[in-house]
Amino acid sequence: MAAEAVQNVTKTFKYSFPTCTNEEILFNLEVPVDIPYEGSSRELVQRVLKMFHIPVYLEDDLNEKLAEFISEETKNFHNKRDAKLIDQLKNGALNVEGIIKGWEKNFKENVLEFAEQKGSSDEEVFATAYHKLVHSPALETILQVESSYAKTVMNMIQNRDEDIRKLTERQTQEMEEKIRLLNTSTTEEEINALAAKHFEEQSVASGRWESQLDALRHAQRAAHRAWLMAAIDDYQLNENVTPSNSPLCTFPPELPGPVQPAPPRLEESFTIHLGSQLKQTHNIRLVAVDILDLCSVNRGDSATWNRAQPALGLYSNDLSAVVLLAEHEPLRSPLVGLARQATEHHFDDVEIQLRDITEKVKEPAEKRNLERIQEGEGRSRNTRTKRALQPGDVYLSRHSNLADAHLVYHLVIDDEQMKAGDITSRHPAILALRNILKSASCNDVTSIALPLLLRHDLSEEMTMSWCVRRAELVLKCVKGFMLEGSGGGGAELRTLTVALPAATNQALFTALADLLSNIFRLAGPVRQNKI
Amino acid sequence: MDDDENYKFAACTYFAKNHPGETCGSNGLPLTPSSVTILGRAQRLLTIEHKNLCTYLDIIRGKHERIIVVAEVIGKSLSEHTSRFSQQEVISIGVQVANAMTFLHDQNITHRTISDDNILIDNCGRVKLFNYGMYYMTDGGKEVQFPLGIPRYLSPEAILNGGGPSADVWSFGIILLELCIGKLWSNLKPGPILRRILTLVHANNPAERIAREHDCYDTYKALPDNLREIIEKCLKIYPSERATFLELLEDLKKINDQKPIDLKKARGLLGCKLQYLYYWWQLAGGDIISELKRNGLIKNSPPILSMPIAILLDGCTLGGKKNALFDRRIAKYSLKILKNRLAHISPHDFYPLMHERRKECDAVTLPKIIRERDTEYQFHRLLWFQRLLHGYPYTAQYIRAQAEIDIPPMVRGDVWAALLGVVGDIEDQYERIDKETPTPTDRQIDVDIPRCHQYCWLLCGRAGHRTLKRLLKAWLLTNPQYVYWQGLDSLTAPFLYLNFCNEARAFACLSAFVPKFLHKFFLKDNSAVIKEYLAKFWQMSTFHEPELAAHLHEINFVPELFAIPWFLTMFSHVFPLHKIVHLWDALLVEGPQLPLFMGVGILRQLRETLLDSGFNECILLFSDLPEIDIGECVKESIEMSRSTPRSISYRRFTNEPEIKDPMDAVEVPMETLLAEICPRISLTDFFSLTCQDKCCVVDIRSNLLYEKSCIEGSINVPYSGVHLGQHELRSLGLHPYKVLNEALTHKKTIVVASAEDETAQLFSEYLVKCKVPRVCILHGGISALNTHIPSLFTVPTKRNGHK
Repeated sequence: MAAEAVQNVTKTFKYSFPTCTNEEILFNLEVPVDIPYEGSSRELVQRVLKMFHIPVYLEDDLNEKLAEFISEETKNFHNKRDAKLIDQLKNGALNVEGIIKGWEKNFKENVLEFAEQKGSSDEEVFATAYHKLVHSPALETILQVESSYAKTVMNMIQNRDEDIRKLTERQTQEMEEKIRLLNTSTTEEEINALAAKHFEEQSVASGRWESQLDALRHAQRAAHRAWLMAAIDDYQLNENVTPSNSPLCTFPPELPGPVQPAPPRLEESFTIHLGSQLKQTHNIRLVAVDILDLCSVNRGDSATWNRAQPALGLYSNDLSAVVLLAEHEPLRSPLVGLARQATEHHFDDVEIQLRDITEKVKEPAEKRNLERIQEGEGRSRNTRTKRALQPGDVYLSRHSNLADAHLVYHLVIDDEQMKAGDITSRHPAILALRNILKSASCNDVTSIALPLLLRHDLSEEMTMSWCVRRAELVLKCVKGFMLEGSGGGGAELRTLTVALPAATNQALFTALADLLSNIFRLAGPVRQNKI
Repeated sequence: MDDDENYKFAACTYFAKNHPGETCGSNGLPLTPSSVTILGRAQRLLTIEHKNLCTYLDIIRGKHERIIVVAEVIGKSLSEHTSRFSQQEVISIGVQVANAMTFLHDQNITHRTISDDNILIDNCGRVKLFNYGMYYMTDGGKEVQFPLGIPRYLSPEAILNGGGPSADVWSFGIILLELCIGKLWSNLKPGPILRRILTLVHANNPAERIAREHDCYDTYKALPDNLREIIEKCLKIYPSERATFLELLEDLKKINDQKPIDLKKARGLLGCKLQYLYYWWQLAGGDIISELKRNGLIKNSPPILSMPIAILLDGCTLGGKKNALFDRRIAKYSLKILKNRLAHISPHDFYPLMHERRKECDAVTLPKIIRERDTEYQFHRLLWFQRLLHGYPYTAQYIRAQAEIDIPPMVRGDVWAALLGVVGDIEDQYERIDKETPTPTDRQIDVDIPRCHQYCWLLCGRAGHRTLKRLLKAWLLTNPQYVYWQGLDSLTAPFLYLNFCNEARAFACLSAFVPKFLHKFFLKDNSAVIKEYLAKFWQMSTFHEPELAAHLHEINFVPELFAIPWFLTMFSHVFPLHKIVHLWDALLVEGPQLPLFMGVGILRQLRETLLDSGFNECILLFSDLPEIDIGECVKESIEMSRSTPRSISYRRFTNEPEIKDPMDAVEVPMETLLAEICPRISLTDFFSLTCQDKCCVVDIRSNLLYEKSCIEGSINVPYSGVHLGQHELRSLGLHPYKVLNEALTHKKTIVVASAEDETAQLFSEYLVKCKVPRVCILHGGISALNTHIPSLFTVPTKRNGHK
C-alpha cells in the first residue's frame, strides 16, 4: 500500500566556514531543504555555491555534508513517522481491524493468489466455444442453422401479423355494420361493449402470439446453445469433424431466392490521416441510410460473407457499434421491435436488457440529477428531472443477431433541442459522443456508425445550410475526439461511418462529402514519381 | 539442465490504475495515464547493473494500460527450492541479498516487495533479486490498483501505511528466518497473517516470538548466535533500531566462510551483453506477448462480455469491466530460437578485430528499415559498433565511416554522441548548470512541452516532461546569446528520446548539435540567418528541381511559408521520431549542408502534387505534411549533396572559419543573394569541375568579347540576342541547343559566365524556366577567372558556317 499523503517536511541545512581574514569569525549558511528530497543534492550544492558566492574549494566538503544531511534527515523522517504509527498501534489508538480489513479486501479483490478461486463463467466458456467454432469449418453450418432459426421466428411474426390483420379486418367490418345500424337496432351501449370486446380479443391474440414467440425463442436458444456445446466437444476431439446438423431443424438446400438488389444508396468512403507528426490511418464512410437499417436483424439471405462477419467478430477484439438517438425511456426504443425479429442466442433478450438497464441506471442517475439541481439552484433550469436519464446520457445494449452492430449505444437526446440549429461543442449530445468514442476505445470497439446530423430523419427546418453547419460541428468535434483518443493506449478506431438520413438528396450529399474531405486530411492516392 | 540455461529472461505483467472518469490535471490537460507514468519511471531501472540484481531489459506498454516487465532470470526462486538450505548457504544467500539491497538503498530505491519468489538462486549459488523495482516504478504503489508485496513479508509499519527503506530490512529478516526455520504462517490467509505481524509489536523479541508460534523455538535457539543476532537486528519493531543493510552486510561477511563465487565468463553468444541478446532474440522472432498468453498471464476475455451498461454525461461509467487480478507469476523465455538462428556463426565472429578487413554482409544493399530488422545483420553490426565505441574517442573516424553505412538502433544514442564529438566529464558539467531557478521563459516552455512529440510514450509522461524542461533550461542558461524559439523543444526531443536516462549526454549532444547545424538560428533577431538559409534552400531547389522551383516561384509560394519549421528544428517538428532518427543519422554523418538537400528531397517527393497545385492548395498541403518516404528522401538528399560543389551551398552564417581566399569565395551581399535564383560557384570548384569535364560553360558576353578570349570549351550565347520570353532552348540557336542538351544528358553542371552579375542572373533564370537543372553562376564572372586562372582562356577557333 502506498504511504498515502506523506507530508513532506522542510529541514534547514546549516553550514559554516571561516571568513578569509579571521579564522574565528564564521560565515553561516542556512538552506531549507525539502525532506524527502526529490532532486540531486549535488545540483543543489552547485546552486548554493553560485547564489551565495561560496568559494569553490568548499565544493567537495559541501557536497559531502549536504548528501549526509539529506540521507540522515530522510532516515529520521521515515523513522519518526513510523515510530509514531507503531506507538499509536501500541496504545490502541489505531483502528487495527479496519486497517486489516482494508488489506484483506485489497488482496482478495486484486491479487490472483489471494482471490477467491473461480473458474471461467458459463458465459466465457460459451464465448470461447462459439469463437472457436465460427473460426472452424463449422462456420457454414452454424450460419445456416442460425439463419433458419431466424426464418422460423420471422415466419411466426408474419403469421402473427397476418392473424392480427385478419382479426382487425373482421372487427372493423363488424363495427362498421354495428355503426350503420346505430339508432336502428343497436344502441351506443352495445357499440361500446363491442369495442371493449374487440380490444379484449386483440390483446388476447397478441398476448397469445407473444407468448408463442417467446416460447419459440426460448426453445431455439436453449437448443442452439446445447448443440453448440456438443459440437465444440466433437470438434475438440477431432478437428476434422464438421458438426452434425442441429437436431431442431432440418433445412432444405437454400434456394438462391430472389435476391433483392439493395436499393442504391449514396455512399462514399475516405481514408484519412490524423495526427501532426505521427499519423494514424482511419477510414470514414459517408452514407445516406436509415440508421435503423444498420441495426436490423441479420437476415442471412444476402451473401454468406455479410452474414459471417458479425459472427466472426462477436467475441473478438474488433467490435462494431451503432449510435442510435434515443428517448429517455430505454424500453421505448425502436430497437426492441427490430432486434426481436430473430432469436438472441448469446445475450439477454433486448427487452430484458433494456429493462435491466432502466433499473440499474435509476439510482446513480437520480443521485446525479439531485446533485445537479443542488448545484444549479441559483439558475432556474426546468429540466424534467423526474426522468432518470437526461440528454447526453448513453446506455448500451449487446446483440448477436444484428447485421452491422454488436453494440448499440443509445444516446439520449431531446429531439426538440436537436432541431434547433445552434448547438455548440459543449452541447450534451456532443459531449456524449466523446464519451462514446472513449468507451469504444476502452472496450475494443473498432468501428462505429453515428448519425452525422444527430437526427434520424430529415425535417423541414433542416435546410442545406443547417445540415452543413451541423455536420461541420459534429465532424470537427469527432476529429478532435479521435485525436484525443489516439494516444490513450486503447483500441484504435478503424472505421467511422457517418450516416445521413436516407432521404438525403444528391446535392446535400455532395456538399457534405466535400466538407468531410476538407475537415479531415485525405490520404492522397499513392503517386508514382516520374524519374 | 541444458534447457534451464536457455532461459535468460522472463516477463511479468500487470495493469496500471485507470483514472476515474473525467479528471484533468492542474494544467487543464487530461491526466497522464498511469501506465505512461510507470513507463517513464521504469526507464531508470533499465540502466541499473549489479551482480546481484536481475537486469531489467524492457518495459512494454500494452493495450488498455497493460505493463509488461522483461528482466533477466537465473536458476530458480527460493520458493521453488524444496530442500532446505544449509546454514552456510543461508549466509551466502544473505550476503548476496544484503549486497544487492545496500546498492539499491544507495540509489534511493526501496524494494518493498522482497519475497521468497523474487530471490533467484542458480546451481552455483549465485543469487539475484528479480523485479526489485515494482515499488519504485509504480511510485510507491500509487499507479496500480493492487497492493504491493505479500502479507508475510510486510513490516508492521508498512501494514500501517507507513514504512521507508528500513521496511526492506524487516522483510530481509523474515527471509533469513524462513530460510532457517521454514516457511512462516504457511496456512494462513492474509488477514490473520497481518494481525499476527501487528501483535508482534508487543513482543520484546519478535524473532523469538515468531519461532515460538511455529513450534520452532528449539531450532531457532540452535542457530549460531551470530546468525541469530543478525536476524534479530532486522526484526526490530522500531525502524530506527533496525540495522542498515550496510551493517548487515559487514556482519554477514564476517560469518561467511564461502569464497566469493567465481564464475568463468561465458563465451560466444552467452557472453554477449544481455540487452543485445534480448534485442536479437526479438529480431529473430521472439515474442514476449505470446508466451505470456500461453502461460495464461494474459487472458483474452472477449470484450463484449464486459461492456458497461451506461455512460452518464459526466463520464461516469456504470457496469462493465472489473479490475483484472494481479498475477505474480512470471513467464520465462528460451533463447533457443536465437541460438538456432545464429548457430552457423563462427566463434570468430563474436570477437571482431578492428583492423581486420571486414566482409560485407549481403544485407547492406537492402533498405535501412529492413536491415534494422535483420537478426544476423544487427548481430554483426552491433558487435562491431560495441568494439568501436569501446575505443572512442580514438576510434571516432572509424565510427563515422561505419555510421555512413547505418547505425544499429540499439546503440544510436552512443553513436550520435560520438559523431557529435561528445567527450569529457559531461555529468560534472551538466551538474553545474542550474536547471531549477525559475526564469521568464519557463511559462512558454511549460506550454510547449505538453505538445511536443506526445505520441511517444516516453516523452508524454511526467518524467519526460520534467527532463525536457531541465534540458531546455540548461541549454538556455549556457547559451545566453540565444533565446527560446518555439521548436527548440522539438529539436531537443530526439536527444532526450535516445538518452532518456542520460540527461547529461542528451544535453551535451544538443549543445554540440546546435552550433554545427543551427548556428545563430536561436538569436533573438534571427531573421537574417533564416532568410539566408531559406534563400539558399530556394537556390538548391532551383539547382536540382528547376521545373518545380519555377512553378513555385510563379505562384509565389515562397519557402518562408512552409520551410521555417523544417530548418529551425532540423525537421524534428515535422516528422515523428522514428523518421527523425533516420534523417539525423544521415545529417550527423554528412554535415551541415545536408538539410538544404533534404528540403529539396521532400519537395521532390511531393513534386507531382505541387506542380498541379495553386497557391491555396500548396498552403493546405504543407499545413499538414503528407507522408514522406524518409528512406528515399535521405538517399536522394545525400546523392544531391555529394554531387553538388561545396561553394554552391555556401552559407555565411555557419561557425566555420571565414573564407579568405578569393578563389573559394562566393559570398555576396544579402540583397543580391535574395535576388538570385541560381547559386554561385567558386573559382576553385569551377576549376575542379572543368578538370573533371563535368561542366558546361555558357558565356553570355557579346561575341566580340568572346572571340577575343574565352574559357576553353565554353559556348557563347550573347545575352543581347536571347528572347527571354521564349522558354525553349531551341531558340538559343542550334549549336548552343546541342551542346546544352549534351551537357544535360551527361548531368553536367551548367555554369553561366558573364561580365556583369545582372545579365548572369537574368540568363540563369531564363535557363531555369527552360527546366534546365544544375545551373549556377560563376562568381566574379569572366574577369575574376581571368585574373586568377588565366590558363583556362584561349582564343576560340572559328567554326565552319558560323562566320
